[in-house]
Amino acid sequence: MSFAPAIEARGITRVFQSRKGFFHQDVTRTEALRGVDLTVDAGEIFGLLGPNGAGKTTLTKILTTLLLPTSGIARVLGLDVTKDTERLRARIGLVLGGERGLYNRISARENLRYFADLYGVPVAERDRRVTEVLEWVGLTEAADRRTEEYSRGMKQKLHIARGILHRPEVLFLDEPTIGLDPKSARETRKLIRSLLGQGVTIFLTTHYMFEAEELCHRIGVLSRGRLVAIDTVAGLRDLVGGDRTIEAEDYGFEDAELAAVRHLPGVSKVVHEEYGPVTRLTIRVREGDLGVDAVRACLINHGGLQVRERRTSLEDVYLDLVEEEAP
Amino acid sequence: MATVSVPRARWSGRRSTLASVRLAILTFLADPQWLIPSMIAPIIFGFVSYELFLGSPDLIVYVILGAGMMSMWGQTLYGSGWATGQDRNLGTLEPTISAPTPYVFVVLGRILWNVVSGLIGIALVFVVVVAAMGTVPSIDNPLAFAVLFLFTMFTLAAVGTVFAAAYVYTRYAGFIQNVGEFAFYIGTGCMFPIIILPFWTNPIALIFPPSWALDALRYASIPGYVGFGWGMGWDIVGGVATTAAYLLIAGLVFERVERHVLEVGNLQEY
Repeated sequence: MSFAPAIEARGITRVFQSRKGFFHQDVTRTEALRGVDLTVDAGEIFGLLGPNGAGKTTLTKILTTLLLPTSGIARVLGLDVTKDTERLRARIGLVLGGERGLYNRISARENLRYFADLYGVPVAERDRRVTEVLEWVGLTEAADRRTEEYSRGMKQKLHIARGILHRPEVLFLDEPTIGLDPKSARETRKLIRSLLGQGVTIFLTTHYMFEAEELCHRIGVLSRGRLVAIDTVAGLRDLVGGDRTIEAEDYGFEDAELAAVRHLPGVSKVVHEEYGPVTRLTIRVREGDLGVDAVRACLINHGGLQVRERRTSLEDVYLDLVEEEAP
Repeated sequence: MATVSVPRARWSGRRSTLASVRLAILTFLADPQWLIPSMIAPIIFGFVSYELFLGSPDLIVYVILGAGMMSMWGQTLYGSGWATGQDRNLGTLEPTISAPTPYVFVVLGRILWNVVSGLIGIALVFVVVVAAMGTVPSIDNPLAFAVLFLFTMFTLAAVGTVFAAAYVYTRYAGFIQNVGEFAFYIGTGCMFPIIILPFWTNPIALIFPPSWALDALRYASIPGYVGFGWGMGWDIVGGVATTAAYLLIAGLVFERVERHVLEVGNLQEY
């Protein structure tokens, strides 16, 4: 028996045109997506990672029928996102988040009732379902307050509540924790994780590396409109080499010292960054037994040297991938 | 093992329209600024209308029709279009479009409510004028008046639907509406019969369904009224034809507009 993937995109491109001027119009073309291929399995939390302007929101909007691709084919739940929009919209949820997107003069409950009607949540079930999702996101006590009185975190929870109101099979979350305080962000991540237990496929965009690492089964890295990598967290770490990183910090390093570090066995990359008077070397170790002692030995003249070893984080991998793609 | 069946969500146009009416009422009640166009403006229109028609043998009917229709026209145009513009401002246009219900049903609900709130305005004008003048106006043909009154509301709603589509199309639609609003007041005969305007304005006025309907309404309410001169019957025919054309245009425009905004990706702009 074969199962169709929840999301499938082939060769998706999207070009935006902006015009300036009244009589003589200057047309600027921006290639937001450049041939994106992607498959997300049912029941998976897939994370799309990328810096600002990488094309994450554009891809999300295409997959949720809010934007047409310039070329390429995308199917969600087997339905064409450009042709089967009505049927598809009933089966997916979208959480765009942010301060906007809610009727702010009415209560959260009324906001949800309205969208429940638009989504055709069965009448007999509607009010119970609204109460249920409000409780699930922890807004029961504030349910009858106007949403203009809500904090950013509360609005975000309400966005999520709206997204799941009609029991979507696939939920798209576009940067769900952006701008939230750490506590609200943690609560939001907890909510997202718990959705997985309900059998919902989740497509999440973020530019927080730790968030993708914490939540997602697989991660795609989007850079300048191109999907530069797609794998599990472990797979992505392997992709750029090694699973360890050694960091060394002090007040400046000589070129000879840097060269010595670069030539240590197993070193795949050395990044040299300056933070005011302090210089940090980030040394990526691909293989072998290279440890902090070997690095210390190369930088022996530095009395205040601080060296530490850590696992290569997804942030390291992500920065490598994004750097490689930069012009 | 017991299985729990989850009813499949299925949208309906009627339910979505009613939900939109409900939302419009809630927003209206929650926002004191709506008192101005719906409650205060009609009374001001009433006084303006009174001054305008002073000396006319059918002063009361002219005053009520003129002020009432101006109020309804404003409510329908301003309310229907503006609400969509407000969807852009609030960022609710995108989530609404992302629902399976076609957006035109949401607009329809708003127009329904705006027509009702326009009726409240006309009722207010009626009460104020009757109280101020101490007499209840006599209508030449009350039954025809009632039917044509409803028909006029319908023609206004048809125009409102086309305007709402413009708001979905572009965030600059408010400009068109602001420029056009007062021209429409005069040009469609809301305040006074078009026939008293220069002849060249008449063909332009006839493009708009309410011009026909209002002329027919005056035939039904003012004894001896001579509007366009072709009589109430042809006014009704013209009104039905132009309204049908507007609804057809609105349907086509909405479909095209919804497609267009997905092509350009400007739903989130405000």
